[in-house]
Amino acid sequence: MKQEQPTGICEELTFSGFFKSHAKALRNFLYYKFGNEEQADEATQEAFIKLWENCASVPPEKAKSFLYTVANNTTLNHIAHKKVVLEYSKKNVNHDTNNQSPEFLMEEDQFKVKLQNAIANLSKAQRSAFLLHRIDGKKYHEIAEILGIGVKAVEKRIHGALLQLRKEIDTFR
Amino acid sequence: MNEDVTLAKWLNDEMNDRELKDFMAQPEYATYSKIKEFSGQLTVPQANMDALYQNITQKRNKSNQPKVRKLNPWMPRVAAILILALGATFFFYTTKTTTQLAAAGDRDTFLLPDNSEVVLNAGSQAEYKAFNWGSNRKLELNGEAYFKVAKGKTFDVITKWGTVTVVGTQFNVRARNGRLDVTCFEGKVKVTNGKETVFLTPGKTVAYDNGTKLNLPDVKANKPGWMNYETYFGKVRLREVLNEIERQYKVTIKLDTNVQNRFNGTIPMNNIDNALDQIILVYHLQAKKEGNTITLSAE
Repeated sequence: MKQEQPTGICEELTFSGFFKSHAKALRNFLYYKFGNEEQADEATQEAFIKLWENCASVPPEKAKSFLYTVANNTTLNHIAHKKVVLEYSKKNVNHDTNNQSPEFLMEEDQFKVKLQNAIANLSKAQRSAFLLHRIDGKKYHEIAEILGIGVKAVEKRIHGALLQLRKEIDTFR
Repeated sequence: MNEDVTLAKWLNDEMNDRELKDFMAQPEYATYSKIKEFSGQLTVPQANMDALYQNITQKRNKSNQPKVRKLNPWMPRVAAILILALGATFFFYTTKTTTQLAAAGDRDTFLLPDNSEVVLNAGSQAEYKAFNWGSNRKLELNGEAYFKVAKGKTFDVITKWGTVTVVGTQFNVRARNGRLDVTCFEGKVKVTNGKETVFLTPGKTVAYDNGTKLNLPDVKANKPGWMNYETYFGKVRLREVLNEIERQYKVTIKLDTNVQNRFNGTIPMNNIDNALDQIILVYHLQAKKEGNTITLSAE
């Protein structure tokens, strides 16, 4: 029996490093699709286990797209969708500190709730693309890679998402 | 508007000044701007990524993976199975009994591991263990067989009614229904029958019928008659002669009369009519044939 030194993704350090840099975004992406944390966790695990199982045949530069391909395929098996629940970060609120009127703050809170609901009502395709940009700060070409579509298609989805969000928010103004 | 991606351009800060100015002039701009601002503040409920990683490392090691370290738990099992298989093979090999059989109407010639030759007459069976044959030449015989034994250590033919021991020789053993006949054709043969031991030289025959020693004439041929389909019977009960004919010709013979005299002579074993004629002539019988069954009765 030949004892080969593990290389590439098969190497523990490479694998864990790869996990650190990609697991969170993958999980987020899966969450945008399902709106279900457990399923997102589960699918993330499955994708990484699959990657490990195929570590010998997947070169490191292909690992990311392998991961998302597996994740995109797993999603087909899940049915129990839930409403996507997102929160606003507290520390990140960089309001101009000049004291705003209570009316203004209330209006802002109302808007935030409307936005949350509108996002939850987006189609999976639009929501995934939009949130990958807004939350994960992914570039359009990165989103295209993740979703396995072209950049143009990403832009269309983002455009459609914004259009849809604006309509829904303004309708219930 | 199908190909319109202006909103996407704006969200990604790709608009030029003029486009931006036009866009900002639109009444919807206020809402878009707020969407951009607040959606940027959104977060996902976070998971414990360390725990997730732990789960992955645990699960991935359970699945069959090309990790050498994962094969290790199997090594002792594989080794154990191999050893067991080896042990079992050795056990079966050392205790394995080879059985040679010649059915009625059939004969069987076979070689022992040392190239000793055995010819089984019809309706006979021999058993031996091939393992360690060179230093343990032993064969159990039920029926009749002619042996050409290769030189070497002692060679035992064990029958129910006595044991025949030789070193390297040619001899015939017939062990049937309480009677043992041993004829030596070459070399020296030792026959042990319970209380008595007899040494045979070429041409000599010893026979025991239910323990009673019978005196039989010398044999001049250099191999038993049955090998040439001429079976010699020396002082054999008629029923036993008929049994031999049954074995050779694969027939059933009924004897409807009581005959006491033993048969002395040679019977052809390749022509049943000639064989039966001999019997009929000697004992004044008549034969009736029905299929494979022959009935002999008083004339």
